[in-house]
Amino acid sequence: MTMMIPPSEETPGAGLAEQELIVPELAEQDSALTAAEAQERGLAPSVKSRSMLRRGWEVFRENKLALASLGLALFMIGFCFLGPLFYHTDQVHTNLENVLCPPSASHPLGCDNVGYDVLGRLMIAGQTSIEVGVAAAVVAVLFGTLYGALAGFVGGPLDSLMMRLVDAGLSIPYITVLIILSVIFHPNKITMIFVIAAFYWLAVARLIRGETLTLRTREYVQAVKVIGGRKSRAITRHIVPNAIGTIIVQGTFAVADAIIILAGLGFLGLGVQPPDTDWGTMLSGGLTYLQSSQSYWWLIYPAGICIILICIAFNFIGDALRDAFETRLQRR
Amino acid sequence: MAPLLEIEDLHTHIVLREGTVRAVDGVSLYVDPGETLGIVGESGSGKTMTALSIMDLLPVGGHIADGSIHLDGRQISGLSDEQMRNIRGNEIGMIFQDPLTSLNPTMTVGRQIAEAVQLHREVSREQAMDRAAEVLGLVGLPRPKERLDEYPHQFSGGMRQRVMIAMALACEPKLLIADEPTTALDVTIQKQILELIDGLRQRLGMSVILVTHDLGVIAGRADRVAVMYAGRIAETTSTTTLFANPRHPYTEALFHALPDKAAETRERLYSIPGAPPDLIHPPQGCRFAPRCRYAQAHCREEEPQLRGETVGHTFACFYPVGETERGGQRAPAAAAAAARTEAPAEHFAKVPGEVVLATKDLVKDFPVTSGILQRRVGSVSAVAGVSFDIRHGETFGLVGESGCGKTTIGRLMVGLEKATAGTISFGTVDLAGVSGREYRRLRRKIQYMFQDSYASLDPRMRAGSILREPMVVQGIGSRREQERSVTEMLENVGLPGSSVERYPHEFSGGQRQRLGFARALMLRPELIVADEPVSALDVSIQAQVLNMMSALQRDLGLTYLFISHDLAVVRYLSNHIGVMYLGKLVEVGPAEEVYLTPAHPYTRGLIDSAPVADPVAEKAKVKAGVTGELPSAINPPSGCRFRTRCPFAQEVCAEVEPPLRPFSEQGHMAACHFPLEVPLSLETSLAAEPS
Amino acid sequence: MVGYLIRRIGQAIIVLFIVTVVTLALVHLFPGGPIPALLGPRATVAQVAYYNHLYGFDQPFYLQYIKWVGQILHGNFGYSAKLNISVAALIAQDLPKTIVLVGLGTIVSLAFGIPLGMYQAVHRYTAGDYALTGVAFLGYATPTFFVALLLVEWFAVDTHFFPPFAPQSSSALGVLSQPRALVLPVAAFAFVLFALWSRYMRSSVMDNLVQDYVRTARAKGAGERRVLWGHIFRNSLTSIVTLLGLSLPTLVAGAIFIEVVFNYPGMGLAFYNAALNVDYQVLLGFTVLATVATIVGNLLADIGYAILDPRVRYS
Repeated sequence: MTMMIPPSEETPGAGLAEQELIVPELAEQDSALTAAEAQERGLAPSVKSRSMLRRGWEVFRENKLALASLGLALFMIGFCFLGPLFYHTDQVHTNLENVLCPPSASHPLGCDNVGYDVLGRLMIAGQTSIEVGVAAAVVAVLFGTLYGALAGFVGGPLDSLMMRLVDAGLSIPYITVLIILSVIFHPNKITMIFVIAAFYWLAVARLIRGETLTLRTREYVQAVKVIGGRKSRAITRHIVPNAIGTIIVQGTFAVADAIIILAGLGFLGLGVQPPDTDWGTMLSGGLTYLQSSQSYWWLIYPAGICIILICIAFNFIGDALRDAFETRLQRR
Repeated sequence: MAPLLEIEDLHTHIVLREGTVRAVDGVSLYVDPGETLGIVGESGSGKTMTALSIMDLLPVGGHIADGSIHLDGRQISGLSDEQMRNIRGNEIGMIFQDPLTSLNPTMTVGRQIAEAVQLHREVSREQAMDRAAEVLGLVGLPRPKERLDEYPHQFSGGMRQRVMIAMALACEPKLLIADEPTTALDVTIQKQILELIDGLRQRLGMSVILVTHDLGVIAGRADRVAVMYAGRIAETTSTTTLFANPRHPYTEALFHALPDKAAETRERLYSIPGAPPDLIHPPQGCRFAPRCRYAQAHCREEEPQLRGETVGHTFACFYPVGETERGGQRAPAAAAAAARTEAPAEHFAKVPGEVVLATKDLVKDFPVTSGILQRRVGSVSAVAGVSFDIRHGETFGLVGESGCGKTTIGRLMVGLEKATAGTISFGTVDLAGVSGREYRRLRRKIQYMFQDSYASLDPRMRAGSILREPMVVQGIGSRREQERSVTEMLENVGLPGSSVERYPHEFSGGQRQRLGFARALMLRPELIVADEPVSALDVSIQAQVLNMMSALQRDLGLTYLFISHDLAVVRYLSNHIGVMYLGKLVEVGPAEEVYLTPAHPYTRGLIDSAPVADPVAEKAKVKAGVTGELPSAINPPSGCRFRTRCPFAQEVCAEVEPPLRPFSEQGHMAACHFPLEVPLSLETSLAAEPS
Repeated sequence: MVGYLIRRIGQAIIVLFIVTVVTLALVHLFPGGPIPALLGPRATVAQVAYYNHLYGFDQPFYLQYIKWVGQILHGNFGYSAKLNISVAALIAQDLPKTIVLVGLGTIVSLAFGIPLGMYQAVHRYTAGDYALTGVAFLGYATPTFFVALLLVEWFAVDTHFFPPFAPQSSSALGVLSQPRALVLPVAAFAFVLFALWSRYMRSSVMDNLVQDYVRTARAKGAGERRVLWGHIFRNSLTSIVTLLGLSLPTLVAGAIFIEVVFNYPGMGLAFYNAALNVDYQVLLGFTVLATVATIVGNLLADIGYAILDPRVRYS
């Protein structure tokens, strides 16, 4: 369980960035016959200019792994939210007759320790995991971005103070505080969202502040002042649009991290309470029966694999998004 | 005498995702023992790839596809990596452009040099370090033994390049390859380094391959030259012959694009249209034909081979220019002469009008902090009391090396920095004190052109929006009117109307500079501050931008503050020149007076150090230049700041700071106790002999 | 360098202050205060008031804070009524075992992660690189506790290679004396960390491979081996060192989950039990301890960075 962002991945098919760095002389080569010049000289018709978003999407599209991951993520979401419409099970009333029943025709993945059908429970748990994961990510990124951008742009002692607070927060091992908070506040979905976001926003704030600092020194931001524009214009029209890429990438990773954090708490029995459940809570059942004489594999594998699948999907998507935003920006 | 290095029909390819770039496409060269071969070309010409091919240091995806390279008669192309390693650093040494990034930042300088020794000689650690100290002394580093344990970042730029040279020479190679060795250095340091390389070459009996884009450097240092274009050699001969009688149209065009030659006549620079060809699919026929003013149909079909009337001078052209052996002139040469004069002769603004901007005792200090509480422990004196005037309609050129404060002054003009003291009078307003609404209103009068256009254009905005933004911010005109203005401006700067839809990354370097300039013009300012607007451009593109700036100045009645380190460009464009050193204005006056009769020793040194594209003039400059290193800006020398490097310095120079004194009626002033010219109205014998 | 250090220590102290204040404030979030939870639901109002006064909970916050900090500085972390042992003693007993687990796990993960990351960078875009990348992504996506569950399921329950429970001992040495029982917990701990180090090392080495100084080294005649180990390795380590310093919260979390799954008698398990029992003194004490460790970790990372990068040292 990490709150670390994976470093930039050279996804296959986007390996050009590295080579562009080694051969600066050829950079002129690549742009030697730009569309503009070609038109000037009456050569081939001009290529339609594409916006950042379009080009980013095209790079993303070329990346097979990213597309597959997108598909996987959509499939998982569909499975969790649309699945119960097709596959009806009772997820509210326990059924002590079916306790720990092995997989069968009527229960494809067996039953858990209080008789719930595991497959159906998987869907319900998935809904919680995904909802809380996405919501916590959104809240954390929103708040973290505002805070970090403000600190980065204002600078000076206010920035120092704000960042000291963030450093302080990041110094606390989040898991201990999350556990304590879960003990104090009886958790439901909403509180879990805020509890997780309460920690995750710190990392986002630090990152966005760094990004803002970098962008602030960019000459095109200074140029705004030279033409007579106000600071607010520099922020809204120039800094934020150029930081959007980073924000979106962070948000994607944040979803994966939030799902794992929630699962961890659930595993410890400190997450959402029955009859609500999430994938992590399902796995705590697996722990209880781990040492028994027979293997209750359906208590372990399904929920765990679901977590892995959706997190891999979001990680790959986030990575591909980062490449899509970065490589195009570097290209001269 | 057999040549030391022979390259025969070299083909170097780089495999990229979008295709294979034929970076070097049939190049043959040779280097004799003890001589300097210069390889000159613009970006994309293949000169660096040729140099890297010799030792097989090609980047990922690069390989030698064909041809052979022989060193001292032995073939070195196609060797295994292990065999090649015996040659690298041992028989052939190489130095690169940027000494800061080319040295390992976490290893001491001594160890890096010793490593070069230990790789090729059976010596102990101590012996290697001794050799390192010896070599550091050889390259002119004072107290080498003490500096062995220091790290690269503790050295200045020039010192770092000396370290690189020391590393390359540690095993006394027969050949030194220098790839743009001085491009990243100040001009005075550049001269020191080039002299060092030359001196070492003679002392060690080495050959040197000097790869550069700077024709002035070639003129001064190379015995023979090869001009490269689009992966092939366009022309090769001895340096004197090349400059005296270029035969290839590309070489001729390059000379015509240089501001050096045009400075006296102030005529329009020749700018080569178009751009170099795509080397993934090189064109059929002569590669320069699409841009050549003499091209015929034949040129586009068949590729010319290198040939020449004399052995020493070969060129690849069907219709060469210049004088033939038989003394006649071919017809195209006449066309060339005609082409040059067809542009309007009077291409510069006339007599400048009244003063639009005057700075007085301008001071800018940057605080230096350290310690827990970030207390201010000192300050960098970036601008230390500068006063000058800019007149309406003129170009005022501010020239100097790194750390002189010229960029800071530019930024002070447009409010990107706040002055610590002094005034900047624009009409009746003191720019140094404005802020808020008044500041924003003043933007309509003074605008700024950034040095790096790529960084100064928001990559997420289309060109049209970028150009409209100044008007949007100032609330000028409706959208329609703004768009019309944009179209008009694009035409003014020579960009196609379709540019409005494009993003910055879709333009070439020269085009981006034009965009930056267009943006500066949108508000129809009176004064434009241009910070190094052409420094990052190739010679041919530079000419385009300079022509554009001159033409627009004349047409729109603009005034320029032109900031640059390139004396030739400044001299070409400016009516008045101000020379800065370490935050002080050491000399100012009409351009011709300052350039031809400089009064300050630093100006003289600057002029002498700047390479000029004329071998005869370069040879005559043997002894001149500026010695020493730039002192710290946190603790500048007392009195005259230049005294630590000045050959005429006396005691008084350390005690009393020299004031600006007039040297002519036209406003030529310099700050020196022992100037090179006789100051106005001073009959005393203080003045030294003019040199 | 000294100035740099002093500045960092000063910052660390400020951070420590903020954190301890926040941590103490957390106590006040317990509904009604910590006493009702301690005494149970049947405590009378008088009893609650009595204990509130005894522990000083009726005093203003800042007084409580000062008293508490004073106690901590004297090594007094309070007393666990549930376990009938002083928190300090509990820490002294259980922390060494956690340190064994975390230490071994970190060392193992570094021992695999760093070389494999370098291998991946040198042989990038080959099958081996893709395979290891896949493993790393798996590591990012798999919660630590699930790795632990799987390992127990495969190697202990299904196949009996290793015992399913961690060594049960009251001392660190006792734990070390049962190496077979340590394998699974350490492996589970190391797996996710391994993913982290190998990715960052790969990225760092790839960045360095295209730097100019590498080209200079090759131009001197250095072979690939020398370039990699003599030049690139040290310059790539800086990112790992920084990461190590920042990774303490991750290590703490990992410790808690592993100890719970394996029933490993360390500080993590003790913390978990304290959470279930609402033994707030233990919770507070451990949180403060972990926080101090994190701050010290950051500091050590900065020092390590300065050692590795002379530009920081001499600036």
